[in-house]
Amino acid sequence: MDNKIKSMFSPIRAWKYLMRTPVTIAKKDIFVNPREASERYRGFHQNDMTKCIGCGTCSEICPTAAINLVPVEGIVHEDGKLDERPAFDYGRCSFCGLCVDICTSDSLNMSKEYLHLSIDADSFYFMPDSSGIHKTSAKVGYTRDEISELLDLVRQEMQHEDESRRSSFIEIVKGYAALDAKNEAARCVACGICTNTCPANMHIPEYIRAVFDEDLKEGIRQIYKTNPLANVCGRICTHKCETVCAIGHRGEPVAIRWLKRYIVDNADATDYNDAAQESVTAPVNGKVAVVGSGPAGLSCAYYLRTLGYEVVVFESQALPGGVIRYGGPQYRLPEESVLKDIGVIENAGVTFKCSTKVGVDITLDELRDSFDAVFLGTGFSLSRPLKIPGYDHEDVQYAIPFLAQTRDYIREIGPMPDVAEKVTVIGGGNVAFDVARTLIRLQEIKYGKSFVQMASLEDSEHLPADLEELEEGLEEGLHGYFAYGPMAVKVEDGKIKGLEVKKVLSIFDEEGRFNPSYDEHDVKLLESSQVYMAIGQMPEYAYFNDEMRDELLTKRGQIAVTDGGQVESYPWLFAGGDIVRGPDIINGVATGHDSAKAIDNYLQSKK
Amino acid sequence: MTNSMNSYKEHFQKLLNVEIKDSPADMQLIIDVNSDKFHQTLIALRTDGFRQLSILTCIDWIELNKFQLVAILMNWDTGMHLLVRTLLDRDNPDFHTITSIYPGAIYYEREIFEFFGVHFKGNPTYDKPLFLERWDAMPPLRKDFDPQAYSDSKFPKREHPHVFKAQVVEEIK
Amino acid sequence: MKEVKLFLGPQHPGMHGNYSVHMYVDGDMINKARPTPGFLHRGFEKVMERRLWMGNLALIPRICVVEPDINEMVYAMGIEALSGIEVPERAHWIRMMVLELGRLAIHMMGLGGIGGPTGMYTATYWGIAQRDLILDLFEKLTGARIYHMYIVPGGVRKDLPENFLEDVLKVVDDLEKKLPEFEQLILKHPIIHARIKDNIMLPAEVVWELGVTGIGMRSATGVQNDLRKVKPYARYDQVEFDVPTGTYSDGLSRMNIKYAEMFQSIRIIRQIIEKMPKSGPVRAKMSTGSALRWTVPAGMVYTAVESSRGEYGYFIVSDGGEYPYRIAVRGASFAQGLLGIEKYLPGHRIDDASLWMDTMGVCSPEIDR
Repeated sequence: MDNKIKSMFSPIRAWKYLMRTPVTIAKKDIFVNPREASERYRGFHQNDMTKCIGCGTCSEICPTAAINLVPVEGIVHEDGKLDERPAFDYGRCSFCGLCVDICTSDSLNMSKEYLHLSIDADSFYFMPDSSGIHKTSAKVGYTRDEISELLDLVRQEMQHEDESRRSSFIEIVKGYAALDAKNEAARCVACGICTNTCPANMHIPEYIRAVFDEDLKEGIRQIYKTNPLANVCGRICTHKCETVCAIGHRGEPVAIRWLKRYIVDNADATDYNDAAQESVTAPVNGKVAVVGSGPAGLSCAYYLRTLGYEVVVFESQALPGGVIRYGGPQYRLPEESVLKDIGVIENAGVTFKCSTKVGVDITLDELRDSFDAVFLGTGFSLSRPLKIPGYDHEDVQYAIPFLAQTRDYIREIGPMPDVAEKVTVIGGGNVAFDVARTLIRLQEIKYGKSFVQMASLEDSEHLPADLEELEEGLEEGLHGYFAYGPMAVKVEDGKIKGLEVKKVLSIFDEEGRFNPSYDEHDVKLLESSQVYMAIGQMPEYAYFNDEMRDELLTKRGQIAVTDGGQVESYPWLFAGGDIVRGPDIINGVATGHDSAKAIDNYLQSKK
Repeated sequence: MTNSMNSYKEHFQKLLNVEIKDSPADMQLIIDVNSDKFHQTLIALRTDGFRQLSILTCIDWIELNKFQLVAILMNWDTGMHLLVRTLLDRDNPDFHTITSIYPGAIYYEREIFEFFGVHFKGNPTYDKPLFLERWDAMPPLRKDFDPQAYSDSKFPKREHPHVFKAQVVEEIK
Repeated sequence: MKEVKLFLGPQHPGMHGNYSVHMYVDGDMINKARPTPGFLHRGFEKVMERRLWMGNLALIPRICVVEPDINEMVYAMGIEALSGIEVPERAHWIRMMVLELGRLAIHMMGLGGIGGPTGMYTATYWGIAQRDLILDLFEKLTGARIYHMYIVPGGVRKDLPENFLEDVLKVVDDLEKKLPEFEQLILKHPIIHARIKDNIMLPAEVVWELGVTGIGMRSATGVQNDLRKVKPYARYDQVEFDVPTGTYSDGLSRMNIKYAEMFQSIRIIRQIIEKMPKSGPVRAKMSTGSALRWTVPAGMVYTAVESSRGEYGYFIVSDGGEYPYRIAVRGASFAQGLLGIEKYLPGHRIDDASLWMDTMGVCSPEIDR
């Protein structure tokens, strides 16, 4: 290894470096003519404020706690967004870009800007918008792609019963297995936007976390804080939470409803009961009557019990539950789920008086006299008729009595509804699909085949029903006539021949009023010997006297109430559910819970 | 598990007469021994070709109330790594030095004492401060040491200004 | 004569970071040396237990500033072993390229760095300038020059940018052309010879005693003890390269091996460019769900790679949760940096101390995590 050079002066060869292009940048160029960073450069952040939903996931993943979500002055609250936006502390930021990789709304990027000099340390803490740190619209640097993605955008697949399901009322959705549920729960970023949107403000991130932790007792505890109809809502909730889910901005939203269902289906029975009854105490505070045992009534009754009241629920039907007992079809909402939810409420000590119709068997005045407060949750119990020619024929049927009769039939306490071989359903909402798909099943059982047509004003892309209803309905063999308006029920020789429909051109006129226009050349006769109407429901107020009816009802047939469902002129009277907010189960649960708190306040303040 | 790994396993089983566990990595095995067998195991393995101690380290299993000492040995001829482990009582973490077997362990022992509080008898310098000069709290890699609480007790919390604008100060140019 | 206590460091005494050696000297002879780390202690191992598996990605490259990629590699390898993830083929080759570019960068710095303690700063400027061209490549590939955060559990973070391989070739061609100039300037220079030839010796017995690995070990034992050969990771078993060794370990021979290794790295990079799959996935998912809830199955594993200074390893323990339970870092230069200094620095001159640290590759941040 003795290969050293003898001459001391050989380093003079280094002088040739004088001729080479320097690697360094001249000082004057740093500001005047800065070197442009590479395409992927992880420089200062840019945040598109119109896209950002304030979910805070960037702050959660940040390994250096450099990102703080702070309120922004003058921000207008929008549903599905939180009111805070990320501010970055560049004294902490490590420029790792994990925040960019996990950004749910695609708003956050890094720029090529890498130069910020200041003697003011506080200027290194700032809230970026899309114009960059110096408002000079720096070029975009590091962005996320599908390789650097840190979210899981694809839902765990849900197993469904196959097509043979249409000949029975077996539940279609099979529910998650433990591993699927855990994997689905792992997709959640716990931002809480869902909680804000849920009418009942359910503790969604918390119970999803419980699924992830495999602690289902905690899950039950979190659910029962805001919703005692977990089994029902785990199946047929309208899941507004999933519509706003942060993951839904770039991928499929977390299957919040199925996760709730997973918890209630799989929690140990003892754990379930313990968690649900945790805050129930012996009654000490007073007595409250609840009229109607639908979602609102049940929710109100349960929370009044947890607040220490004695509660009696009056139900006109033979069984408690209202719409969840007599409405939603078995293949979506099995009887066991309803029984489980109502069982918890019964165990909590709520008394049910069934087959007792307020206004007939007992008056509202009598309730007022024997209870401290009265809650009305009577719901929409009548079907709305469509007064077209022939609508008064005896073979024109209505959704609510038909569905109720079917459920009694499946409960084996009533006869099978009289279903014809060929039928037509009018309507395009979830209830219309419930009717149509129930009809298919009854026909399969009775005739071994089915023929159900559906006519709705809206085309298939604008149906009010959920997309999955449409998909599953068509799978089961439903014949859809979407954007066909019903004109008349054609009757020949005293029997229904079919429903005459016309192609709809538009539903609303130029002023936005409901005023359908039709293509007069496209008229069809949908042959059938029965017609089912499922175009909406309305309330029944037989229990009000004339004076109350005039005073309390608004134009749309709903009761005007203050916060918490209290009726202003009758402070002992509270109302919730459909008759306050329109038909929706989770709204019913929410208003029932709110009213329970309001009744408590009212009765405490009276003492 | 390849055949060669199985034969390695048999080899160590015979050599040490203890149970050999699989490791998730290739050419790596895990050997659990009682603390009184730890030294003789190391000696046997060193003679067997494991001339290098890659690291001596410790884990705090606070829920079991145990410390686990792990010596990772390397045989350069085969490329095999062995994780030799032993459990120590967490309330009374006394052990004997392994510097007579692997002299390079001397500083690992000092490190483990500093971060976990395990005593190494026979190593005259094990309790000299190494990294943490004037440390005044419990050994920091113990699971019950809360660095956030320690930091909060030592340093004032910095309040963020609610000014979110950044400007280059011209004079610096 | 009376013994004097002298402190080497903790300021950068010829690029050795915030590390100090307390020397008891008699004249310019060192009688006793006490390594004093701790000026750089950032509590990495504790901090790692309190970060998400993915969040640690931002932290680990900072353990070794000049060669960050080895941290990402051992971390990723450990998680992949525990989780049983198959890394896509193309990712293996990209990783290998990153690691070899990293090796070139740190060797460039090490080779130039000898200019610090020997007073020949031209070497340092050349080395840093040449390294900067490699950092340009890293910036293009990863978006950052130093802390790349590019090798992630399951693969790499992004696919190669357009024309990247051509850029790599340009840089290594240029480097290969310039390397003989470095040899002329540094390795053949009479003054450097006077300083490091037959000096700061590391006999084979001492290697085993201390547990020295890497160039230190290979320069003394004459055996190709290189993890890339002995225990190939990534696709090192599919490329041809030599491991330079020696049987007489003085400072100069270690520098010569470093120099020879660079040609091997260039050789490996050329083969990678030729052999790597031209397309295909580069990342497998580490776990299910969003990164906030990624978990690693319970277990423990030790993974190691050949860094420029020897065996660099992570001992990773998971309890199945979203955070590592314990991670212990085996700094490659722990052995020579602590016990080596204490035991074998005495007997040398004061100005040999930083030469020891330089030619042995003592990297303070990996000793003092």
